[in-house]
Amino acid sequence: MASATDARYGQKESSDQNFDYMFKILIIGNSSVGKTSFLFRYADDSFTPAFVSTVGIDFKVKTIYRNDKRIKLQIWDTAGQERYRTITTAYYRGAMGFILMYDITNEESFNAVQDWSTQIKTYSWDNAQVLLVGNKCDMEDERVVSSERGRQLAEHLGFEFFEASAKDNINVKQTFERLVDIICEKMSESLDAADPAVTGAKPGPQLTDQPAPPHQDCAC
Amino acid sequence: MSQELNLNFLKGLEQEIVLDVLYRDQMLRKMEEERIRKLKMQLQELQWKGSKSTSQEYSEKLCARCQKSLGVLMNRGAVCNGCSHRVCPGCRIILNPYTWKCTVCYAQEDIKAKAGEWFFEERVKKFPAEGKHETAGTKLLESYQKLSNISVIPPTPPPFSESTSGVNTVEHDQRKGFHRSVENLFLSFTTHIKNISKSQNDMTVDKYLLTADYGQEMELRKERRSQSDTAIDIATRVKLAPSLQRLISGAQDGNGIAPERNCLQKVVSSSPLSSIFSAGIKRGSLYSLNSTCSEAGNFEEADVSGEIEFAIRYNFKSSMLEIFIKACKNLAYGEERKKKCNPYIKTYLLPDKSPQSKRKTSIKKNTVDPTFHETLKYKIEYSQLEMRQLQVSAWHSGTFRHRVFLGEVVISFESWNFEDKSTQLLSWYQLKAKAEQSEDNMINYSGELLVRAKLISPSLCNNSEYEDQMKENRKHLFPLAATEDKTYPGYQLHLIVLEAKNLPAIRPDGLLNSFVKSCLCILGRRDMKQRTPVLKKQAHPHWKHLFVFSGVTTSQLQQSCLDLTVWDQSTFGLRNQFLGGARLGTKVPTRTSDATSQADLQWQKVLSSPNSWTDITLTLHSNAHVFNF
Repeated sequence: MASATDARYGQKESSDQNFDYMFKILIIGNSSVGKTSFLFRYADDSFTPAFVSTVGIDFKVKTIYRNDKRIKLQIWDTAGQERYRTITTAYYRGAMGFILMYDITNEESFNAVQDWSTQIKTYSWDNAQVLLVGNKCDMEDERVVSSERGRQLAEHLGFEFFEASAKDNINVKQTFERLVDIICEKMSESLDAADPAVTGAKPGPQLTDQPAPPHQDCAC
Repeated sequence: MSQELNLNFLKGLEQEIVLDVLYRDQMLRKMEEERIRKLKMQLQELQWKGSKSTSQEYSEKLCARCQKSLGVLMNRGAVCNGCSHRVCPGCRIILNPYTWKCTVCYAQEDIKAKAGEWFFEERVKKFPAEGKHETAGTKLLESYQKLSNISVIPPTPPPFSESTSGVNTVEHDQRKGFHRSVENLFLSFTTHIKNISKSQNDMTVDKYLLTADYGQEMELRKERRSQSDTAIDIATRVKLAPSLQRLISGAQDGNGIAPERNCLQKVVSSSPLSSIFSAGIKRGSLYSLNSTCSEAGNFEEADVSGEIEFAIRYNFKSSMLEIFIKACKNLAYGEERKKKCNPYIKTYLLPDKSPQSKRKTSIKKNTVDPTFHETLKYKIEYSQLEMRQLQVSAWHSGTFRHRVFLGEVVISFESWNFEDKSTQLLSWYQLKAKAEQSEDNMINYSGELLVRAKLISPSLCNNSEYEDQMKENRKHLFPLAATEDKTYPGYQLHLIVLEAKNLPAIRPDGLLNSFVKSCLCILGRRDMKQRTPVLKKQAHPHWKHLFVFSGVTTSQLQQSCLDLTVWDQSTFGLRNQFLGGARLGTKVPTRTSDATSQADLQWQKVLSSPNSWTDITLTLHSNAHVFNF
């Protein structure tokens, strides 16, 4: 469904009001792991090898079609550099999903994942969803963090895990779509808590827990 | 969270960049607020459609949603699990074979998802004290304005004593920003950044803004969240679930008679709303070019009395403004002595008083209580409506086209809510004597200019030189810090002047030799001026000319104005004649968002969504002195 639909709804981008949900997503991780590239690949399908450090914060808007819903994503790209931390952490709140990124060719960026995860726990709300992404998986020759280590860490932190490449366009779209899906799941879960939801996402078995016959007080 | 602030941490160029982002975010938030406001209105409408008023007895066997009567044995209806109201089968949304909800409960759940409330409920648990900084964003941008005004001044030693604390500085700066050193302003700026970031949970802010009209009730709602009713989405084409639009119209149509409600102040017509404007009713004259503009000339004025009943609505599908003229009562006699009156109704869509703007009903003979049942229509873009006023006047048609003015009603569409169904109901309006000041508006209006604009972000300017320059700039970011970098390449503003309509006719044949001048005034820079070629001998010129303004940033544009003026080239080398002008953007961003016109919104859209075209219809004004050219 995606590419044709994306093209159609991608036109007007931020000014378009014809959508069902708006999700805010934040990309975080050490400097130069490829956050901006990852976003540009996803939003514009473009890639520049040159490194330009992000100043503070930036965002892009993309509307996608998922689970029969039009979802507008405001994707915040944050500066990895420590000096911008006061700005970037301020944006954690209100973000429904996080992409925590490291560079598979950079041990230090991987070691920082734990810290980033703590930052999320500190500043975001508890129902925010997180994906761990090991970027630059096209650079197999320079790999220093094995997939297995990435997967284990993700499991340990309770996040889902992807290896991706913004350069070769591997798993970029999948990452975002998975994140959108788990936000949707979380949403229907939290609405279900009160009542069976209208979110259109999975009328799962939990709905049958409290069956409400349509004509319970029929006189017949 | 770490409270320490790095005082040097935003340099001149970085501010520009970050503020561009903040502005774009602000625009996005405004649009989101607007979307949620609309959703909320639609839910309200749905609730109005049916819900039992509290005065009604429950013993009455009516469907709580559509007011259809329910049987005692057959077709009893069933109780909704959500609201415990009894509803008929038609007003249920089947979620799965075992579960259903009534339309309103469904809609309430739906809005919770769509407005993102489900997520922000978590905020209350974690940060119970927050969410009250709704003005922080505005403050930040305001403080930035002051910053930008002095950013070219080199830093001076801080003039204040060291004891000045950060918070106080902020207060001072807002009052006398111009006298403060750059460093102190940075301090204030970063402090504001902190403030805004606290309120960064945008939706929280939205929630407060949106529910302002609910007042304290909302406070209660927060406690009893399960019952919160906010809004509902109609416009979305939900695939799995039935369309709420249909539910609403269904409730309306299947209804027959609109239920009377205490909350409704206006007179509810006994006929269903939808039929007011329906086809089959005789339509008033579209144009009457042969009759000269009556208001300008000589006419008698009777002692105005009586009332007129009409309804207004805007048909979004066909871009048609429709005025259903129903009746008048107690009109004055056109010829008092003879007790004679042949009334008809005439409308103008001010400020346009040309024959194109005139509509008339048929003439009724010998009555002061005429019944018309006619619909007068205007084809007009929705964006243009808010600048217009509807003038509805009653006239007596005497012998030999002798006309007598019987009274008028002028309705301003500036704050008219065309989406609210209650404004579409028939109402009685008191007829009044001629208003004097409407003349000013008439002089002001001099047609419309259609433009299309796009902001192209630096990343898309596929100019490698440009890219390199950009990188170079970033590299030198820190050494450059305090000086304004004028060569910093930013966005490119593309603006296509498409065409003009209803330009004033200055020659007998109505043809013009017109061209458009543009003048972009950015603070601290030279005005950027461009003009289109002259189009000869055309009454409705289609220039389709592209203006390109490069090296601008969104934050600059936010504070600058772009004046577009239409001119007629004089034939004998005399001065060109000014036909009309319009302005995009303002020097000072207004804080009152509700006062902004449609064109302003469109302009904000251009600034907030780079790389996409936006069409803007501008109303041209004839007062040349206010424009730069």
